[in-house]
Amino acid sequence: MTLFKALKFMCITALAVNLSAEELTGEAIMQTMEDTRRSTNDSSFTRLKLSSCTFGVNKGRIACGERPRVKVLESVSINHGKDNKDTKSLTITLEPPAERGIGMLTYGYDEAGRNNQTWLYLSALGRVKRIAGGDSDEETEPASIFGSEFTTEDTDTGKLAEYSFKLLEDATQSGRRVWKVESLPNAERAKKSRYSRTVHYIDQERYVVLRSEMYDKYGKEIKRVMASRVELVNDNWLARSVTMMNLVSNRLSNMAFVEIYTDLDINDAFLTQRTLTDNAYRETGLEALRAQTQ
Amino acid sequence: MLKRLFLYPFAIALLVLATLVAGQGTKAEEPTGDPFGDELNFDDDLFGDAFDSPETTKEASWLDGFTVRLSQQLYWQVNNHSVEPRPGLRIPKQADLENNRLGLNFRYQNAFAPGWLLQFTGQARWYWKDDYEYQANNDSIATEYRINELYLQRSFDQQSLKFGRQTVVWGETVGNSVLDVINHTEFRDFTIIDIEDARLNQWMLVWDVFAADSQWSSFINLYPEFNPVAVPGSPFYANTGYNIGDYKRGSQTLFEAGTQWRKSFESSDISFMAAYLYENQLRYDYPVAGYGDALAKKNDFVLLGFSANRAIGKLLLNADLAVSLGVLPNESPFPGITVAGSGLDIEKDQLGASLGFEYAISSDQSISLGVQANKVLNESKGLTPQQTIVNEGIFGSWLVRYRNALSNGNLVISSTLQGDLAADSLFVSLGLDYSINDHWAVAGQIISTTANQQTPMVMFDADVRVGATVTYSF
Repeated sequence: MTLFKALKFMCITALAVNLSAEELTGEAIMQTMEDTRRSTNDSSFTRLKLSSCTFGVNKGRIACGERPRVKVLESVSINHGKDNKDTKSLTITLEPPAERGIGMLTYGYDEAGRNNQTWLYLSALGRVKRIAGGDSDEETEPASIFGSEFTTEDTDTGKLAEYSFKLLEDATQSGRRVWKVESLPNAERAKKSRYSRTVHYIDQERYVVLRSEMYDKYGKEIKRVMASRVELVNDNWLARSVTMMNLVSNRLSNMAFVEIYTDLDINDAFLTQRTLTDNAYRETGLEALRAQTQ
Repeated sequence: MLKRLFLYPFAIALLVLATLVAGQGTKAEEPTGDPFGDELNFDDDLFGDAFDSPETTKEASWLDGFTVRLSQQLYWQVNNHSVEPRPGLRIPKQADLENNRLGLNFRYQNAFAPGWLLQFTGQARWYWKDDYEYQANNDSIATEYRINELYLQRSFDQQSLKFGRQTVVWGETVGNSVLDVINHTEFRDFTIIDIEDARLNQWMLVWDVFAADSQWSSFINLYPEFNPVAVPGSPFYANTGYNIGDYKRGSQTLFEAGTQWRKSFESSDISFMAAYLYENQLRYDYPVAGYGDALAKKNDFVLLGFSANRAIGKLLLNADLAVSLGVLPNESPFPGITVAGSGLDIEKDQLGASLGFEYAISSDQSISLGVQANKVLNESKGLTPQQTIVNEGIFGSWLVRYRNALSNGNLVISSTLQGDLAADSLFVSLGLDYSINDHWAVAGQIISTTANQQTPMVMFDADVRVGATVTYSF
């Protein structure tokens, strides 16, 4: 699971890349976004807040029905492998106190059908543990990301060959001109997916996904992503606030990119199991990254 | 077993109460009609403070390294019954409050210089009225402090050195590995039933050498410790009429040492290991005079091991193999259970294997199974025709754990079943943990034990325990 790279799939922008009219297909738009995501997300260090709450409607507006649960995370990611399409990412929990220090290392693969690898370090276990997550199926919800409404399926990257895309129409979303692109999983992917159809609203100028709607096999919208606070960060357009609403459970999670830095000097060795267990090495590496961001 | 659970309405009521508590939380009006139309009235000011107060504006303080957990725990043995350890000998057991204690656990971590780290974890316990420790302390509040971890780490290049109190965990099988024997353990009572919670730290020097996909890890322990003896009043305490104490090491120098090589492949990890160890559980001979201090005896041996895992979709297969050379054979399949005076001081070789799997039924539900089996290789060697070893043939234990996380992990239902391969005992636990918010959590648990006269666990036959814990973390 390449959490933060993938979340940027929902929100990160393209550079000033524009597709010519003859290239303007759903697949071309998505491929451009994917390529851009990789180029803008390589060697990144991110600090974010993940807030979750049940929600209701108060005076016509969506509102939390309880005090949100907040997790603060730090993440380091690099691209590697053939054509730099695979990813390695490390995520460390800073808050809440009860979960402080929990670390997760993920190797994600672009190749269709190739399972990602995940290792977890919990101090109670006293060792690094491989996690066999596998894929979900159309009946079961994929794994939640740190207890949020974002799931491993929402954050999976690459593997575009497992989908077909169709440009539906031009539209307006949050005052911006957008393309509506429909994404349909192929037969093999559909067996593993909770979503039978997804519609993305993509900012035509900044290549940011401003909204996504996920539908189940009965055609019912079950989840919706809303992105906002689109800002130019480190020369890339970025939606710094991404909210996933579960329309079935009435619970939402907001991911706030409090800090994000890209194109940092990150050693491959930092994205290994050593970083999970060797606290001195990990803290030294993180300090070095923080220093690079100053 | 299940029938027994239903006999105790209090226990059920506790869990129902916890479930009701877990169901609370949504105070806002639920959406009606279609509030999710195209012009959804949503803005992220809900979480605006995430940006208004970025973490980096906080001034770093050494206090940031502290994590503290406070917990108040109550546990009852709720079944009025009797046990029959030997035919005709019935011992009554009354329903009783066993645990009433406040715990404080803290963790401190400070990477005070590049490549250096200090880690310190400890705990304090206050035993209130009716806790068995309170009763053992002449009916007055007892206090206990303990350093768990305290180590200094230096990492440089491809290496790491850690010196201090720490744990070393070997093996892959969840909770039931024949290789997870480096650190000693304390199963003081039934509130600690998982080995992950029972491990005690020891003073060790650990040296790790890292490569891209592999790791050498070696340790030396210059002060090996043994499983502590159950305190009077605890469920595991048995009044034998003589004193069961720690090993009297005198001027002897004891040490343990071992090394492990681990390598990761895609979808699999493997390890090889070798160590010189002492069995964590001491053996005891009857006092020479028939009373006074039982004679504690150490039990050193050489361990050779191999472990591997393999991920296949949602399934993770685990295997551990252990060869123990020159060991005095185990007397009880359950750690923490001491058998006095039944051992034969004849070293044997023993083969152990743990096989298990973990399966993710869904993203929220998982189940794991671990089976540990042991066989003494040269059972009759050195024995007279009238002698037998305690564990003939294949002996061991099995462990099943089930976990279901609801409400995105805020509510966790878990169950543990544990028994020995001879089917002489069965342990069933049902737990419910609910995180009220980022600081407060509550937990409830029901534990039932069944055993026959073939096992020391018979002392817990027909016991039913109910417990609740409230935790605050900051």
